[in-house]
Amino acid sequence: MLFAKRLGKKLLANQWSFLLIVVLILSIVAGTINSRYWWVGNLTNLLGQISVLSLVACGATILIISGNFDISVGANIGLSSVVMAMLMRNGLFSPVAAATGLLIAVICASLIGVAAIAFDAPSFIVSLAAIGVYQGIALFITQGTIQTIYGQFETLGSAKLFNLIPLLFVIALIGYGVLHFILAHTQLGRCVYAIGNNQRAAYLAGIKVNRRKLTFFAINGAFVGTAAMLLLSRVGAAQPSTGTGIELQAIGSVVIGGAPMSGGKGNAFGTFCGVLLWGVIGNALNMIRVDPYIQDVVIGLLIILAVAVSSLRLRAERVMK
Amino acid sequence: MSTSAEILTIRNLTKTFGDTVALNQVNFSLRAGEVHCLVGENGAGKSTLIKILAGAERPDDGVIVVFDKEHRYLSPDESLQLGIATIYQDLQLVTSLTVAENIFLGREIVTKFGVVDYTAQHRRATELLESMNISIPSNAIVETLSPAHQQTLQIVKALHVNARIMIMDEPTASLGIEETNALLNLVRRLVTKQIGIIYISHYLQEIFEIGDRVTVLKDGKAVQTLTVANSDVATITRHMIGREHSLFASRKSIASSDLVLQVHNLSKRDHFAEVSFDLHQGEILGFGGVIGAGRTELMNVIFGADLRDSGDILLHGHPLNCASPRSAIERGVVMIPEDRKLLALFDARSVRENIAVVDNEINHFWLKLGQELRAVQELIRRLHIVTAGTGQTIGSLSGGNQQKAVLARWLLSKGDLFIFDEPTKGVDIGAKEQIYELMAALVREGRSILLVSSELPELLAMSDRIAIMRSGKLVTMVDARQTTPRQLLALLLGIDDNGEFTR
Repeated sequence: MLFAKRLGKKLLANQWSFLLIVVLILSIVAGTINSRYWWVGNLTNLLGQISVLSLVACGATILIISGNFDISVGANIGLSSVVMAMLMRNGLFSPVAAATGLLIAVICASLIGVAAIAFDAPSFIVSLAAIGVYQGIALFITQGTIQTIYGQFETLGSAKLFNLIPLLFVIALIGYGVLHFILAHTQLGRCVYAIGNNQRAAYLAGIKVNRRKLTFFAINGAFVGTAAMLLLSRVGAAQPSTGTGIELQAIGSVVIGGAPMSGGKGNAFGTFCGVLLWGVIGNALNMIRVDPYIQDVVIGLLIILAVAVSSLRLRAERVMK
Repeated sequence: MSTSAEILTIRNLTKTFGDTVALNQVNFSLRAGEVHCLVGENGAGKSTLIKILAGAERPDDGVIVVFDKEHRYLSPDESLQLGIATIYQDLQLVTSLTVAENIFLGREIVTKFGVVDYTAQHRRATELLESMNISIPSNAIVETLSPAHQQTLQIVKALHVNARIMIMDEPTASLGIEETNALLNLVRRLVTKQIGIIYISHYLQEIFEIGDRVTVLKDGKAVQTLTVANSDVATITRHMIGREHSLFASRKSIASSDLVLQVHNLSKRDHFAEVSFDLHQGEILGFGGVIGAGRTELMNVIFGADLRDSGDILLHGHPLNCASPRSAIERGVVMIPEDRKLLALFDARSVRENIAVVDNEINHFWLKLGQELRAVQELIRRLHIVTAGTGQTIGSLSGGNQQKAVLARWLLSKGDLFIFDEPTKGVDIGAKEQIYELMAALVREGRSILLVSSELPELLAMSDRIAIMRSGKLVTMVDARQTTPRQLLALLLGIDDNGEFTR
């Protein structure tokens, strides 16, 4: 009994275990209403669905912990994916086209960092302004048309490991692995936390703050570029509006995963749980046939509920202390 | 004084946090017009007691009697309504608003149209400040005020809401000598208005200047309440740490003739001018001065955190022109800054990360977690850092342990010239002593120290020589062992033998 009580307390003490419990409850509810929720086909589909968001959220995790933001990642995905698609349509070898797009994503994300550092401006505002720039460039080069590449670049988006697990999800998992490794095993990771917690103290402790921050933005770009590649392969087409809105989902996942907006805290597993919650809610609502028009409302309310419960939980913890 | 009525009585107050007993059957009382000092090492239970009175914590057991009415606990609202005001260490002012706006915050004077009547607020605030003999303009923006004036403003604000009981938590921690005296005078004026004051300070001499009674807390127990007039420092410290103790073992000079640092005509506009001095290997060179004398700014320039206008710095005979702390650190120059929370701590991160941060940054691109853990554990042991483990958040440690962890950071990264800026500020006596021992050990190992301090006993006991700075100038250099506290104070304030101010 005592053991169970202690285990319960321990589980509740972690943001991620709390999220997993919520995910489990949602799954049980959805599975009870519609048993097809538990079908392997649906679950692997779910994993595929959260892969793109996963990679974007990985990049956002580094930025948010270090006290930075890039809300232009949606527009960045739009631009880099249409470039990839156009190059492929023009007959460029598709891995080369994808690599070019990825490079563009890294450059676009790094420019946010450069501007934020050079003008000592909040990266939130810089990236807000960049949304228009990147989306505008994408609209100009495509003249607003959709760029379809059916049949050219499908392997990434449709291949399955052991005929079961989507390759997309495997790549997303590798993304989480890289994120975890950076955060927990490298000098750079310690700088992410140090700069996010107290930038001035980091500078006085000998950390080259500006250079590090630029690196964070570039890494975010690499995650975003990879996400753009996966999205293009999955959908088979790209347009300037591709990726719109994903930045907020990503930031939401990171924060729900336990990283405060004020920086200095967070980890890869928390972000994974945040993304998973997001994906499970969307999938479960489909499975229990909630009217698509009302789904966004329900998703919004459920997210608020999750945040409310987790903050009540933290408050209860403080009182217990 | 003893005839005044008790306005606050605490009986058998007990509060536990998990397994730790923060307060154990504490009794305490406060009379109108009395200054009752509360002393004890960090972790003795002072802040828990304050929090209970402010309504931020609920006691497990015991009674709080305020103005003859019994309470089991106080809510924050009740506490305010009963006239209890707490002046915390960190200021609770809206620094972007004016003095008047802060005084009336939440209780604005409004016109009949319901908008704020700034003219009336300004007038009333000016009256209030003048009645207390305080020369702060009521239309000044708070962030432009000195820390001392901000502190004073908090007290005025409390007065405005008719506080009858004021709790002051380390009000002089960030103040210079003159400013401290001004604050103590303000406290004396409050007393004449029959306000009861609970006064908490690490600076024991202040207790003798303004205290009526003093209660010593140790390990959550009120071990003794003494009348200040019949007591002395030795008695109080004995109760605090449970033994007689001399904080300062006499330290012999072990400075060699090798020059470590040579500073020539160093200047920075508006901060200091033409400062020259030498530092020898194994020497502790103290820097005395009042706040604003330019000492911290001087240290920032040597450490590379700030740029000079002119002058030369030589480290071991080679120019030291650091554009950033990083280059200073790589040459073994390290700094323990005065404002720990703002400039040194990663308060949301673990003790381990805080200690290892510099070493990792300089030496390990890939972290060596096992090696790091062992090094950190070793330092925790060596420096007697009290922590639940290497993973504990450093923000939850006491000030003394935080400071030791910051020091450990520089030991791990092998600093050679240590700059200490007010190293024992907000640190309890036990940890203070350990920090002094560590400083002594550093110079024994052949390292050198620049020590900026506003605590005269500390400056006198730890330094070999003391550089006296006044208004950005290094006016003289004295032998610490040949100087009395009185002489030092006179030098710092610029008073000559006849009690006249000099320049």
